[in-house]
Amino acid sequence: MALSSADFVARFAGWRARRRAIAIQKRRQAYILVLPALVLIAVMMIYPVIQTLYFSVSRVRLPTFATSFIGLDNFTRIISDPETWPLLSRTLVWVGGTVALRMALGLAAALIFNARVRGTVWMRVLVVLPWAIPSVVGANLWRWILQTDMGVLNQTLRSWRLGDWALNWLADPDTAMYAVIVAYSWGGFPFVMLLLLARMQGIPEELYEAARVDGANWWQSFRHVTLPSLRSVLVVALILEIVSAMNSFDTLIIMTGGGPANATRIWGLEIYKKGFTDFNLGGASALSVLLFAGVLAMFVFYGLVNRGIQGRSRGAQA
Amino acid sequence: MSEIATPAARARPAQRRAVLSRKAVRTVGRYALVHALGLIVVLFSLLPLLWGVSTALKQPGDIYAFPPRWIPESVTFENFIAVINDPAMVRSFLNTLVVASATTVVSLVVGVLGGYGFSRYRFPGRNTLLWSVLFTKLFPRVVVIVPFFVTLRNLQLMNTYQGLVLVYLMVTFPVAIWLLKGFFDNLPVEIEEAAIMDGCSLPRLLWEVIIPMSRPALVAVAMYAFILAWNEFLFALVFTNGLERRPLSVALAFFIDENGIRWGELMAASIVMSLPAILVFTFSQKLLVRGLGEGAVKG
Repeated sequence: MALSSADFVARFAGWRARRRAIAIQKRRQAYILVLPALVLIAVMMIYPVIQTLYFSVSRVRLPTFATSFIGLDNFTRIISDPETWPLLSRTLVWVGGTVALRMALGLAAALIFNARVRGTVWMRVLVVLPWAIPSVVGANLWRWILQTDMGVLNQTLRSWRLGDWALNWLADPDTAMYAVIVAYSWGGFPFVMLLLLARMQGIPEELYEAARVDGANWWQSFRHVTLPSLRSVLVVALILEIVSAMNSFDTLIIMTGGGPANATRIWGLEIYKKGFTDFNLGGASALSVLLFAGVLAMFVFYGLVNRGIQGRSRGAQA
Repeated sequence: MSEIATPAARARPAQRRAVLSRKAVRTVGRYALVHALGLIVVLFSLLPLLWGVSTALKQPGDIYAFPPRWIPESVTFENFIAVINDPAMVRSFLNTLVVASATTVVSLVVGVLGGYGFSRYRFPGRNTLLWSVLFTKLFPRVVVIVPFFVTLRNLQLMNTYQGLVLVYLMVTFPVAIWLLKGFFDNLPVEIEEAAIMDGCSLPRLLWEVIIPMSRPALVAVAMYAFILAWNEFLFALVFTNGLERRPLSVALAFFIDENGIRWGELMAASIVMSLPAILVFTFSQKLLVRGLGEGAVKG
């Protein structure tokens, strides 16, 4: 062969260079493709996070946005504020109440529409409507229904001579929280229903037949067939609902604005009010950091539970 | 003897009829029970909506009638006409339309490019980037209003269409990228390889090969982005001020004038605002149910 080793090396090097050139070119293509996403992450995630963290330890002066470092002052002020603990407990009542109601209604509706009885499909389609409409519309609808003087609920009660039951639903601190919890759950339970229904329809019919052969009644087959199959999707629904309840804003601000007497003012509303009514951006940032820590804790908890479920089912299979 | 051995087979007709009718009773009972319970859920879901529709179709005097009238005395479209003739409402309707359409288009572009990049290329930082995309979705909206406010202010995008589209993108682009990446992952590579062999450039490849093949996924992303931007309230409230750029959601939230709230008009406007969402949801529910059916067959 006339091919000298030097020649070979040169050709090999040329081949490698060409390959690398192609690789770099392909890599450049890849980065061009994901560039918009990259920019969005930088502008809408990294920068805001840094900004919030920085604001949460600063005093921000408007309108110049001049900041001065004040350490953990914003946080200590939140903790020592006597208004903070009622705020936290209201937020917990709100999250607990709406999540419980949404899950219970969603599960009940899913069980009803999973019974595979002829002529219930149209019902299922209609039940999803409250979830389909914009939250602003739902909130206004309930505000109109619950009006003290002219609302249809109180007017109906009065026409049935139950005028004593016609309460000041949204204007009375004792009832406002229940009223908004019902309205918010109304708009969200179909989502839980759809999630659960999707999983229920995947449960093999044989399992129910086997349970029937063994003489299981409805409750027993629900308890020992349906519920175990739903465990993972129930956890997903629970986490999603908790996070969405922690962040809810629309329904509350439209129906009560956080009132009466702060009875429905929860953490998310406090962020908005502090930031954009009191213009205390530092304090609002500190509240945001705390709420986000709460949300993050929920996701970490979900990760742990998820791993637990997977580990257990793997253990069961082994 | 034989009667004891196979009692069921030898059971007298009367007994068999009794068993049958008991079974029939149970079936009918189950049917009635499920229907009754289903009806209760439907009423809970629907009554508030029906009251809204009824209010929207009533004449002003009829709205406050006592006892409340569910079926309007005379149906009128007065309220709808008043909404359409209100320049502020039309303005906010157009604002919402512009923002929702722009969000949809930009989400699709970012999603197709990013989804394709993440699906077909391996490059340093790919996984980190992919997970940060998902992490972005994790940010609760209430938590980011302060930082977004500062960002938009620094970019001088407060109270602009671009600013709203940018904040909505933050919600839609993670979904768009992950959904489309998943879809592209399942497309056969052979077609693209053949196209590349024929000297097809990347933009042409995307436009003429990938996009036509991905229509279902693109429709899903478009619907998601459009509905999100159409319905969104919190960002719209914080990042706009004044009538000029105010979207429909904010307009409906502060639908009040010196005479108080005109509930008939508010309900009429609410119906108009709900239409796109209801259309998309009925359409996608059919897809959803079909998807569930297919999953059941495969499972």
